[in-house]
Amino acid sequence: MDQLPIVVIACQVFQSLLEELIPAGVAERFTFLDYGLHRVPEKLTWALQDTIDEIAQPSLIMLGYGLCGNGLRGVKARQHTVIVPRTDDCIAILLGSYQKYIQEFEATPGSYYLTKGWLESGSNPLQEYQKYREKYGDDDATWIMDQQYQHYKRLVLVAHTMEDLEKYRPRAQEVAEYCQRWGMRYEEILGSDGYIRRLIEAAAALDTADGEFVVIPPGGEIEQEMFMRY
Amino acid sequence: MSELFSEFSKAVIEGNLDDIVGLTKDALDRGLNAKDILDKGLMPGMDHVGAEFKAGNLFVPEVLRSARAMQSSMSLIKPLLAETGAAMTGKLLLGTVKGDLHDIGKNLVGMMCEGAGFEVKDMGKDIEPDVFVEAVQEFKPDILGMSALLTTTMRSMEHTIKALEEAGVRDRLKIMIGGAPVTQTFADQIGADGYASNAASAAELAKKLMS
Repeated sequence: MDQLPIVVIACQVFQSLLEELIPAGVAERFTFLDYGLHRVPEKLTWALQDTIDEIAQPSLIMLGYGLCGNGLRGVKARQHTVIVPRTDDCIAILLGSYQKYIQEFEATPGSYYLTKGWLESGSNPLQEYQKYREKYGDDDATWIMDQQYQHYKRLVLVAHTMEDLEKYRPRAQEVAEYCQRWGMRYEEILGSDGYIRRLIEAAAALDTADGEFVVIPPGGEIEQEMFMRY
Repeated sequence: MSELFSEFSKAVIEGNLDDIVGLTKDALDRGLNAKDILDKGLMPGMDHVGAEFKAGNLFVPEVLRSARAMQSSMSLIKPLLAETGAAMTGKLLLGTVKGDLHDIGKNLVGMMCEGAGFEVKDMGKDIEPDVFVEAVQEFKPDILGMSALLTTTMRSMEHTIKALEEAGVRDRLKIMIGGAPVTQTFADQIGADGYASNAASAAELAKKLMS
């Protein structure tokens, strides 16, 4: 099979990484979608579909996403072939592998992960609290926050480079200070770019794509069960 | 009369805690039937909230405030509901599955099912399959409701159903599942009897499963 032109559609969380790792000229086009889309997964589905539908020429579309709260469910490949990491969300991708994510998950189920994406999009407990406080006043905002976060045990800043860890540390620590109200401890994990590298390799030679990836042929549709691992 | 009920619905939808307490007291003083307040005022209000949440027009804080408003009204009418001596619709055992610490949706389901006349036993969160099995054997529910917020943890629902089968108690009860990542397709795949996308429809589903 002739290699199809490669198109990259990814969350902004992977923008710098993908631009750095994919040599100029290899991808026909890059589209990075807003960090905040995962908050309403259906909006992510629509945004992805709109982006895919704009591509006329049959292509190999590399999605820099996980299942993302079912945000990818229902996305149709149309005339394209789609490849996507087989993970729940960006955490496994930032950590470098699904196995690493499960290991962390089993060690501390009540972990709240802070990533560049979540920090940039304002999806973190401190910013949420500030937003609620403006809208509902301090008492109600605090009550709402307690309802949502009281069972969490750990706040983890995860990034695949030391630079990102350092860059986002001050903001993460501010969040961590606020999260102490629930006794959450703060940790940092330096992940890796391994998963993204493997995605790029798999896209370059689709027949080598293993169980780490979901590949959707033309006419296909992304389904939740494709991401299930037991 | 229907106007008064819609005021209850409105107070639930707006999450208006101050209004709803006064509204409930007034209505009860005026001799309104507690069950009518619940069925025609509170439940439709929460039903609306559930649908709007699903559609992405309302978010967790609004839903929480609505639930709190409904809960505060319910706590006033509950003693009166009990007095009527109406038979319970059925017994419901609830829990969030292993590895999952999210309980807001599950708590809402408990409240709505209580509103629908169920005796609800809530096991809490992070419940291992074996612990579900033990509770089923003890509490003997008509329905088991399982919740998960993460695609990572929803798989534990299947493990729980298998554990119930192995213990030989699966056929004694109906199983319903829900939570943000859960779908009807998943429910069918793992052999659950039903799926609901929000707390209000979970209560409807529970009633349907009893019939």
